[in-house]
Amino acid sequence: MGGLRAIKTCFTLAAFCASTSIWAAESLQTAIRFEEIGAKAGIRVQHHTRRFHGKNADVLRMFTSGGSAVAVGDYDNDGYEDIFVTDSDTGKANHLFHNNGDLTFTDVATVAGVAGGNDPHSVVSDALWFDYDNDGKLDLLLGRFGTPILYHNEGNGKFKDVTASAGLTKFANTIGVIALDFDNDGRLDLLFANYFRPVNLLDLKDPHVLPNDLDNASNGGGVTLWRNTDKGTFEDVTEKAGLGKVNGWALDVGHGDFNNDGLQDIYIACDYGTDHLFMNNGNGTFREVTDKSTGWDTKKGMNVDVADYDNDGWLDIYITNITDEYMKECNMLWHNSGDGTFTDVAKETATCNTGWGWAAKFGDFDNDGWLDLFVVNGLRSAGPESYVPLLLPVLTTPGLDITDVNNWPDIAGRTWSGYQKKHLFHNLANGSFKEIAADSGVDNELDGRGIGIGDFDNDGRLDIVQTNADQPLLFYHNVTAKSGNWIELKLIGTGKSNRDAIGARIRLVAGGLTQIREIDGGNGYSSQSTRRAHFGLGHAAKIDHLEIRWPSGRTESVSVPLNRVAYIEEGRGVIKR
Amino acid sequence: MKKLFSSVWPLLLVASWLVPCQLHASDADYLQGLKALETNDYSTALHYLELAVAGDPDNLRYGSDYRQAIIRSKEFDRALKFFEQMLVQHSKSANLHLNYGFAYVDKIPVTGSITQVILANDALTEFAKSLELQPSWIAYYTRGTSYLFWPKIFKRAALGVADLQRAMEIQQSGRRHSYHVKAYIALGDGYWKTDDLDKARAVWAEGLKEFPASIALKQRLSLKGDELKNLIEAQFDPGTRVNTDLRDLWAD
Repeated sequence: MGGLRAIKTCFTLAAFCASTSIWAAESLQTAIRFEEIGAKAGIRVQHHTRRFHGKNADVLRMFTSGGSAVAVGDYDNDGYEDIFVTDSDTGKANHLFHNNGDLTFTDVATVAGVAGGNDPHSVVSDALWFDYDNDGKLDLLLGRFGTPILYHNEGNGKFKDVTASAGLTKFANTIGVIALDFDNDGRLDLLFANYFRPVNLLDLKDPHVLPNDLDNASNGGGVTLWRNTDKGTFEDVTEKAGLGKVNGWALDVGHGDFNNDGLQDIYIACDYGTDHLFMNNGNGTFREVTDKSTGWDTKKGMNVDVADYDNDGWLDIYITNITDEYMKECNMLWHNSGDGTFTDVAKETATCNTGWGWAAKFGDFDNDGWLDLFVVNGLRSAGPESYVPLLLPVLTTPGLDITDVNNWPDIAGRTWSGYQKKHLFHNLANGSFKEIAADSGVDNELDGRGIGIGDFDNDGRLDIVQTNADQPLLFYHNVTAKSGNWIELKLIGTGKSNRDAIGARIRLVAGGLTQIREIDGGNGYSSQSTRRAHFGLGHAAKIDHLEIRWPSGRTESVSVPLNRVAYIEEGRGVIKR
Repeated sequence: MKKLFSSVWPLLLVASWLVPCQLHASDADYLQGLKALETNDYSTALHYLELAVAGDPDNLRYGSDYRQAIIRSKEFDRALKFFEQMLVQHSKSANLHLNYGFAYVDKIPVTGSITQVILANDALTEFAKSLELQPSWIAYYTRGTSYLFWPKIFKRAALGVADLQRAMEIQQSGRRHSYHVKAYIALGDGYWKTDDLDKARAVWAEGLKEFPASIALKQRLSLKGDELKNLIEAQFDPGTRVNTDLRDLWAD
């Protein structure tokens, strides 16, 4: 399958196929290497999952064992990417790591006013940088099991809680948040993935809150689509937009222009069952195309990342699921056929088995022009005894109500799909990947959750922040030697585009390859990576063509210098930062 | 005319094998079902095959062929419901329980990963009931093999070995059948799953003496380490359809 696709790609790029093959073969000789420098950088903080109280405490803690999120963004516009990291237990502070510019960071969360959120009735679960008022400064949204918190960036290193005035007061058990301009009105909207239905788990009145079917659950929280009104407020347009029928346990949401029509489409990954693919109608509504595009699945959708991994000009989608000795689901790499259908090529590309999957992110870590893939995994690493055998009676006892938390055994000190090695898949430029985590130094066994990719020292090599549940954060500095040439583009939208340029499509031609990137608003479970578009160029010494399709629809060709971070403003081209 | 004759001819052969002396009502229904299957008329086929099973609930072959028709038509829940209803009136039919268990197994590949566990467990329950009623070679072999599908973490492989040992005892005390090779393969796999490679290889070798043409046994004996592991684990992949067609039982 992969071979056939490679052949097809080769025919498509017939003019320079031969040179590409030689170049790709050379690029494979670069060994991707990372060094873990979390402690040295001052960001190795410990995450704490929420401790519940009472009879069901252990089970609820287990079912809510996310919340260890990372969001990358330059909140103070100093040219260096900063990092926001969440915690989840009562009273525990979130972290805003200001980048000092020398690969060290200073936690300024308390001073900035964004450390809070883990109150006795709410659990911080995700974080998102986005400029909701187009004032040029990144604001911060915290997703919570509870009501969200929207912090406005005041521009003086401080943030102001504007949640109430923004109208984001609806309770939900939100676990994932992304920003996108679904109606192309130049204002960033929000899409929430809600895990449980909206019951307060911290003040549980009814114990029947767990999934009603572990393969096809229909009692989850679904999604919420918040439309930005441009008056500093958001309105819930979920039903109106056609997303109200999603009733699964949405664990992650992702967006991208899957059919190249200039509109942002969305993929919803649901735990305990069916994922959903919605195409944008261009009139403020979506149409579900799951049946024809991907088909209905029963897997445990955990993550959505979007990228054109095979450089064919169409965005593909990577979903992590759960594969272990006792449950063999396989991930899904949805290859976009370009005709409205997707084909799962996870097995063919060797990206199928990554254990109990969480976040997965594409990134060109050796700058060879082909997107690699980092995947974190592992639910709970604890004592030698496994929790899995205790689950069998829960699943097989006739008539047992599995929605009742009282019917699930405590996990106590047991391990459940723990101690799993992380995966780094190197793109072989032929439609398949090679697992290189151990050789690259990223095969840790922590209970991973989020992945924040960014170039934190502006050296053109993508670094990785890995958050872990109940464990310390890891910071992988990319030290790959002899990596290829590169460019990084920070886009600034104007006029009818949102200022973050989320949804902008960049098409680059260099070295015989055509690559595309799309600026995303936080794709990936518990993760937001850099908003810069990073391109590896391999040995290419010049860019043949670089074109940006802005969210407004305007298309511009620009010239940028190699091996630099370039700031590009819509209508003005490259500007000084 | 010639076409009609050629399609009926195999059925007549089957009929002659089934009942040399007289044709029962169930046999007629069975033959009608098989005839409908030839043209992929599943609605008619399932109707008549259900009549056949209803008329002779303990007939292993009727139940087996009915399930194979169900697999082709993908109406897995229909079979489960049918066998469940049949067992209300015929709870003492060992072979009905066996086919009911297989009906659960037949559905496994088309379900989600958690439902697979539930179905596999339901199948085991029915296999156990069948064994209680009639401790036959097929019942021990079936339940024993079924245990081997469970991941090691559930520690059921040892139970599988015990059942397969009983199946082996039964086959070694009676007339030799070609399907007995399956017990050698499965028992060896069971030993492998319980980390006793020496016993596994001994059983496979013993089997190969009795069935020297067995490719499955030769493969196992020729492989080591991860290659052997991959071969055996591939047999127990829940996503792969298990062949539950019992026709080998009446092949010789």
